[in-house]
Amino acid sequence: MLSMERIPEQIGYLVLKEDGAVLTSGGELENDERIANIIMSLITLTDTIDPKAFASDETFNKISITYEDHCYVICLSNKKVHIVKKKITALTSSQEQQQQHLPVIA
Amino acid sequence: MERNLEKTMDNVTNVEGVIGCILADRQGLCLGAKGSASGQSAGLIAAIADEVAKLEPESNAPIIALESDNRQCIIQRQGPIVGAIYKAISP
Repeated sequence: MLSMERIPEQIGYLVLKEDGAVLTSGGELENDERIANIIMSLITLTDTIDPKAFASDETFNKISITYEDHCYVICLSNKKVHIVKKKITALTSSQEQQQQHLPVIA
Repeated sequence: MERNLEKTMDNVTNVEGVIGCILADRQGLCLGAKGSASGQSAGLIAAIADEVAKLEPESNAPIIALESDNRQCIIQRQGPIVGAIYKAISP
């Protein structure tokens, strides 16, 4: 999966089938079935969160788990669960401003 | 003690974009819910925090964010308490 490897700041990735089987993996998450199992049970848990705040047809499309210096981003695409572990580098204030302005320029 | 919790929850729900918040204890029992949040989801939120804690047991508790098209649910454990904040995402 070259496309997963090209994600900036990526330090590991996993692609799972809907039943939790590992399809491809790389970096720090290479063949990490422990993480895969935890993520699959997390996805099962998040099926219905709060009926009062979220409509029953409102589904989550992204989960992120953020630690101090890295994070995991999880999303479902093409019937596969994609998990990326990314390094977090603190942005300088000028970079932050630049990022905020990017969508406006585009 | 309840008064402190109530005040904290009021402060949180008064922030722009926040539609509700909920606090649960270690067992997943509801300590309080404000705004558009139901006490029934306290157990689920504590279970999510527990499940994620298994990822990296040595690291500090992470922030878990669940995103739908126009809402966001942010969960974090702070000591014996798990808190969740529901936010509306502005386009």
